[in-house]
Amino acid sequence: MSASTETGSPAGKTWKSKEEFLGCVILTDWILLVILFAVLLGSFHIHYMLLAGDWDFWIDFKDRRMWPTVTPIVAMCFAAAAQSFFWTRFRLPIGATTVVLALLIGEWINRYDNFWGWTFFPINLVFPSALVPMGFWLDIVLMISGSWLVTALLGGLGWGLLFYPINWPVLAQYHQATEIDGVLLTLADLIGFNYVRTGTPEYIRMVERGTLRTFGKDVVPVAAFFSGFISMLVYFLWWNMGKWFSTTKYIEIEEV
Amino acid sequence: MKSLNLQSMAKCATARVVRLWILGLAVAGALTTLPAATPAAAHGERSQQAFLRMRTLNWYDVKWSKTELNVNDEMELTGKVHVFSGWPQAVARPGESFLNVGEPGPVLIRKSAFVGEVPVPRTFSMDVGEDYEYKIVLKARRQGRYHVHVQINVKDGGPIVGPGQWITIKGDMKDFTNPVTLLEGSTIDLETYGITWTYIYHFFWMAAATAWILYWFMTKGIIVRYWQVKAGKGRELIGQDEKRIGAITLAAVLLAVLVFYAAANREFPRTLPMQAGLLTGISPINEPRSTVAVQFKGGSYTVPGRELRIRAKVTNNGKEPVRLGEFTAAGLRFLNPEVFTTRPDFPDYLLADRGLSVSDSNPIAPGETRDLEVIIQDARFDIERLSDLAYDTDSQFGGLLFFFTPSGERQRAEIGGPVIPKFQAGATL
Ligand SMILES: [Cu+2]
Repeated sequence: MSASTETGSPAGKTWKSKEEFLGCVILTDWILLVILFAVLLGSFHIHYMLLAGDWDFWIDFKDRRMWPTVTPIVAMCFAAAAQSFFWTRFRLPIGATTVVLALLIGEWINRYDNFWGWTFFPINLVFPSALVPMGFWLDIVLMISGSWLVTALLGGLGWGLLFYPINWPVLAQYHQATEIDGVLLTLADLIGFNYVRTGTPEYIRMVERGTLRTFGKDVVPVAAFFSGFISMLVYFLWWNMGKWFSTTKYIEIEEV
Repeated sequence: MKSLNLQSMAKCATARVVRLWILGLAVAGALTTLPAATPAAAHGERSQQAFLRMRTLNWYDVKWSKTELNVNDEMELTGKVHVFSGWPQAVARPGESFLNVGEPGPVLIRKSAFVGEVPVPRTFSMDVGEDYEYKIVLKARRQGRYHVHVQINVKDGGPIVGPGQWITIKGDMKDFTNPVTLLEGSTIDLETYGITWTYIYHFFWMAAATAWILYWFMTKGIIVRYWQVKAGKGRELIGQDEKRIGAITLAAVLLAVLVFYAAANREFPRTLPMQAGLLTGISPINEPRSTVAVQFKGGSYTVPGRELRIRAKVTNNGKEPVRLGEFTAAGLRFLNPEVFTTRPDFPDYLLADRGLSVSDSNPIAPGETRDLEVIIQDARFDIERLSDLAYDTDSQFGGLLFFFTPSGERQRAEIGGPVIPKFQAGATL
C-alpha cells in the first residue's frame, strides 16, 4: 500500500515519525472499511429481505416480470446512497460495488446457514440474485461522467436493463422443461414443488399475470425498461438520502 | 509527490486487520442469521382459533402409508376433506387453495400430489359444502423423526393444518437422490443440479467486486482521499488514468456478461417461462347423498368439564338402521366405544377412542326421526385448544358426524352452530 503526504495534513509533533503517522492512517482506514462494510451489509440485507423478499429467496419466484422489476428497484436504494457517500466524500468509485458485494456476502451466509444448514432447502432453490456487474456499471458510469445526474439517468437505466441478462447464465438451466403427472413444468417450478415450503403456497407466486402480457412473449425487456425508469427516480431520492446520512453535525460549545 | 513504502508499518497492522475482518464476518453472520427463515412450526395448528379450525376444513380418513422409512423410500399421505358449509366469514373462501404438507423443512419431498384424479402442483379451487379426496406422494430425504401433517393453504386465509403423524426416517441425507427426466430426454438429479455452476458464477463476480474495491482502497485508502477532497483537490483523484482503468474494467465486465449470456443460450436453447395458473373444475368425491339428515338444535360447552353437548334431530332416510359412531372436528376424532369396538390406527394425540356418547344408544330405525343428545368429552378437546371456543369471537362449533349401519356402511352429516359456554362443573343443558 502506498500513501502520500501531499495533502499537507498535520503530521506534526504528536507522532514520533512520519512512518508512525502513516501506519496509524492505514490502520484507521482498515477499521473504517470493516465497519462500513458490516454496517452496509447488515442494513442493506434487512432492507432487501423486507422489500424483495420472496422474489429473491426462491428459484420459482424468479419470473420474467415481477422479479426483474422489483429486485433492481429495491437494490438501487442502497447503491445510490453508498455512491453519494463514497463519491462526494472520498472520490471513491466503489459505492455501488461495495453495497452489492456486502449484500451478496450477507445473503450467501443467510442462504447457506439458514436455508440450507438449518432447514435443508437445496441451494438451487434458494441462491440469491446476481447483482455485481450492475454495481460495476453504476460505479464506472459515475466515475467517467463525474456527474450524479448522468449516473441517475444512464446508470439507472442500465441498472434495470442489466439485471436479467446477468442472472440468466444461472437461471437458464432451471428453465428447461419437464413434466410431472402430465403437467408441464420448468425445473424451477419443480424444485419449488418438490421441496416443501409450509408457508409459501404456490398461489403467492405472481408468475406473469396482468397487462404487460399484451407485449406477447417479450415480457422481460418491458419489465427491465420499467425497472430502469423507476431505478432512475429511486437513484435521485436515495442519492440525497445518502448525502443526508453522511453529514457530520457538531454541537457548538455555547449551545451545550 | 512523495510516496512511501509502508511495508514495515503494514506489518504491525496486519494481525489487527485479520482480527478485525474475523470480527466483521462474525457480525455479518449474526446480522444475517437473526431474521432467519423460520422452518415449519410443528404444532402451529393449535395456535389458530378453535372456530376457524372446526368450521373450515374437516379432515377425515387421513392415512400415512408408512411411519418408518429409509432415505429415498416413498410413502403416501392420503385422505379426504370436507369443506364446511358454514365456512366462517372471517376467512377467505377456498377458491384458491394449495395442497401442502406441514413438516419441518423438506425432510420429505413431495413427488406428486392429486386432488381427485387431477395432479395439483398448482393452485386449485374448492367449493364450499363439497368433499375432496387427496393423495400426496412423499419421498424421504433427511434422517430423523418428524411430525408430518397434511395441510391446505387458502389464499387470503392462511394455512389450515390437518392431522399429523410422527414419521421416522433412517439412513443419511447424503444418499438422497431426486432423479428427474427432462422433456428432451436426459435425466438429472434435481437435488444437486446446477449448484456447482451457481457457486462458480456467483463467486466469480464476487471476487471481481472484491478486487475492484481493494484496488481503489489500496491506492490512497479512505482518509487520505477525504483530506484531498476537503482540500478541494477532488478532481485530481480521478484523472485520465483512473478513467481509463474504469473504462477498461467496464468493457471487460460487459464483455463477460455478454459471453456468459451467449453461452447460456447456446447450452440451453429451449427454455420455458415458469408455469402457473389456477386449476378449476376439480370434481368433488362422487358419492350418493347421505341418507342421514341432521338438524342442529342447540348446544352447550362446559368449560371445566371439557364437555360439548349437542342436541340434534336425526332422521334416517336409509334402508338400514344407523348408530352414531364418530364426531370429528379440527382433525380430532371422538369415537363411540359402542360402535368402535377396536381402536383404529390414528395418531393418539388426536384420537379420543371413548370420547363420544349418545343419550339413546338404540339404533335409529329406517324412516325414524329422533332427538338425540350427543356428548363429546375428552381432555384432548382442551389440549388441542378447542375449549378456547368459549373465548372466540364467533362461538360456533362445527364438524362431521359419522353414522354406521350394521353392514358397515358409513353415512356422514355435517353439524355446527352456536354453543353456550357453561363455566360451572356439572351444569346440564
Ligand atoms: Cu405437528
